Amino acid sequence: MVYTLSTLEITTRGSSSLNDIGIALRMEQVSKQYPGTLAVDHVDFEVRAGEVHALMGENGAGKSTLMKMLAGSFDDYTGQIYVGNAPVELRSPAEACDHGIGMVYQELSLAQPISIAENLLVGRLPTKPGGFVDRGKMMDEARRCLQQVGLEHLDPSMRIEEISQHEAQLVEIAKVLGRNPCILVMDEPTSALSREEVKRLYEIVRKLRKRGLAIVYISHHLSEIFEIADRVTVMRDGRKVGTEDMAGVTPQSLVQMMVGETIDEFYQQRHPDLGDTVLTVDRLTRHGFVHDVSFSLRAGEILGVAGLAGAGRSELARVLCGLDPAHGGSVILDGKILKPNDYPAAVAKGLVYLSEDRKLQGLFLRLPVSWNILASLTAKHSTMGLYGGARDRSIVEQQISSLQVATASSEEDVGNLSGGNQQKVLLGKWLAKGPGVLILDEPSRGVDVNAKRLIHEAVMALADQGAAVLLLSSDLPELVGLSDRALVLREGHLIGEISKDQMTEESVLLAANGELPKGGDA
Amino acid sequence: MKKLLSHMGTLGIYGVAVLLLVVGRVVSADFLTAENMLTILNAVALLGVVASGMAFVTYSGHMADLSLPSVMAFSGIITVATLSLGLLPALVCGVLAGMSIGAMNGFVIGRFRANPILWTLAVAFFMEGFMRFTWSNNQVYPDIAPGSAGAAFIGIFRTDIGPLPLVVVVMLLMLGLGQLVMTKTRFGRETRFVGSSRAAAVTSGIHVPRVVMLNFLVAAFAASVAGVLITSMNKLGVFYLGQGYDFKAVTAVVIGGVMLSGGRGNMLGVLGGVLVIGLLTNIMTFMGITSFRQNIVTGIVFIVVVGLQQYRLRAGGRSSE
Ligand SMILES: Nc1ncnc2c1ncn2[C@@H]1O[C@H](COP(=O)(O)OP(=O)(O)OP(=O)(O)O)[C@@H](O)[C@H]1O
Ligand SMILES: [Mg+2]
Repeated sequence: MVYTLSTLEITTRGSSSLNDIGIALRMEQVSKQYPGTLAVDHVDFEVRAGEVHALMGENGAGKSTLMKMLAGSFDDYTGQIYVGNAPVELRSPAEACDHGIGMVYQELSLAQPISIAENLLVGRLPTKPGGFVDRGKMMDEARRCLQQVGLEHLDPSMRIEEISQHEAQLVEIAKVLGRNPCILVMDEPTSALSREEVKRLYEIVRKLRKRGLAIVYISHHLSEIFEIADRVTVMRDGRKVGTEDMAGVTPQSLVQMMVGETIDEFYQQRHPDLGDTVLTVDRLTRHGFVHDVSFSLRAGEILGVAGLAGAGRSELARVLCGLDPAHGGSVILDGKILKPNDYPAAVAKGLVYLSEDRKLQGLFLRLPVSWNILASLTAKHSTMGLYGGARDRSIVEQQISSLQVATASSEEDVGNLSGGNQQKVLLGKWLAKGPGVLILDEPSRGVDVNAKRLIHEAVMALADQGAAVLLLSSDLPELVGLSDRALVLREGHLIGEISKDQMTEESVLLAANGELPKGGDA
Repeated sequence: MKKLLSHMGTLGIYGVAVLLLVVGRVVSADFLTAENMLTILNAVALLGVVASGMAFVTYSGHMADLSLPSVMAFSGIITVATLSLGLLPALVCGVLAGMSIGAMNGFVIGRFRANPILWTLAVAFFMEGFMRFTWSNNQVYPDIAPGSAGAAFIGIFRTDIGPLPLVVVVMLLMLGLGQLVMTKTRFGRETRFVGSSRAAAVTSGIHVPRVVMLNFLVAAFAASVAGVLITSMNKLGVFYLGQGYDFKAVTAVVIGGVMLSGGRGNMLGVLGGVLVIGLLTNIMTFMGITSFRQNIVTGIVFIVVVGLQQYRLRAGGRSSE
């Protein structure tokens, strides 16, 4: 007995020291308390060098908070963190940086009006004697960083606001890589990327893994996790549920771990009850973005819009609803021509647009959830009308409960919600307004499996009530599962249409690349 | 707890007011008398009227309207200049003249997104030059023969309503009305949305240029009312009458808990801010501190309060990382 015990001890000690060589990061019993929320609750977490470690969990599970802890965002976490084998204190961003931790945040953090180069090299701009910035060196270094993420075609002197959102996301990654981290955290890095860019990101990640980096990868997409991860840790309600080798899990078992129950793939067959044409778009043009696009949309219909990144989907939506000026063509809503470039008028008539970028354009981060949901309704009340309480409150409560927004209360600032829950609030804002014509631009970006189903159900219910929906999505299962038919955009031109029975993920992808299925015509 | 924190700004300022009452009592036995309290109210009444309008500009995320002093002077001069039409028409002309400046500010800032500070500073500069040029650097006097419109005009400032001077009643009315508009009307709500995030307000279908326009118009309206009153008080109109009201009004608004970054605060707090400035000035006068040195103190108070607000924003984790 004694003998066995001691051998056991020896073997464990032996194996642990063997393992320790490969352990890049260990968090022991770490916790983080927000006012009113214990976001991370005594979590143990470790990442090996040379592995991609996926971190999964529902919206609000505490993933981002756990990782922000690593990035030195909090000075009041409890528990112990080790980098390599050395205990470290990560109580400021500078300390995190010193220990080689690099973080790509869930929400973009680049300075919009500043050049790519300066954003990439912020804090370490090369200088000449006298403190002047060495512009040549800066551009060279910036180009080197951009090359790492396959953006060598970009001019580093361009400002961030001049490039697209998915390019900005890659620049963000380049910025972090430029500092040569040995532990790299990516919080939903693909949520703003197109399919091709996701592939490029996989290559980058694999290369970094080979170099021995420890990589933490947060994502809600099971397919991504199975593609790229070696191990996975699942969190729920601030606690760790478990860590598994990817070889030992299935999508079903992962979902089971995350949600606590099994969810089967949804997308039940919808039998749309199509009404009259409510929206007609006639040769709409905006130079450089949208060329001569015409189509119409009927009540009760969900019309998908497929296309590669840069195909002009968001631009089409923005011109259509009047957020951007058009150079030609017209939009006819309920038989009347819409005044161009007058979005408030469009909203008043029931044509609304759920914008793709929730943090910069969509939400009032410093206002409570309730105010955000009611933001779409100000026009409903008469100009001099005083605001009543009870009706407003019930609207808010209804959206919070039907979308299952995880928030301490309806008076919590939206900026304090987790990313996925912010997205639900953004959608709730427009759902509260009721049917009409709804343009949804990436409606389920960053939400978990369960929430995605809720959002899809809400969209279908809205269509069943007679709303017309224009769905812009790069999530192929979503596009195929929800749409009754789909338009195909390519370089700003409408090149064709795919009917429901022709629609598969494959056919949509081929069409977006210019190969329409037979019988589909413009 | 959350609610309590959000009321901190309002409650806090009244706490400061009470503290100042105690300090004032210590400084002088004559301080805590009904008469002195009325003096204080009288002294801050005009400031309160201007602040009730300025608060809208700050609340809408546009920090401050620095042209308000020139709006005050202009509305006063125009009122005096048009008194021959009768008292009421002259008052209407004066207020409309002041509001026309607000309309221009609101249009340019709302539609073309001009920087509000720079733009209104330029307008103030322009208006001063314009008034000095047009009236050749002179003061304009009303004809105050007994029974004339001018005499009635001079009388406005000197009217009492019950125990209170008319100006104090006007201030309370303006602040009360402002509170109602700010918290209960569609315009007030939209102002909060615009003040919290302009981009999000645009994508929510709010007519942002119109909301901004209305805010500057409201500010100019309040300043015009104050301008008429201050002109009545001085019995003359002249380009420099509103001097100093820009900074003092922003100070009252900001120490009253309206965030310089927009979207937070209310008129109850602004009233508190106005009272605190009144108390502070009054106590300093009791202590024999000259008005130049009083300005130094007001400036320091402003800097400290803005610093604290920023700190609280960051401590709340709401800084833009
Ligand atoms: N600044 C904050 N103040 C208060 N509570 C917060 C704050 N940030 C996050 N929380 C809360 O902490 C919990 C965990 O949030 P976190 O952002 O870590 O979730 P997540 O797992 O990243 O979710 P998602 O998948 O939606 O991004 C949530 O309940 C959230 O509401
Ligand atoms: Mg997150």
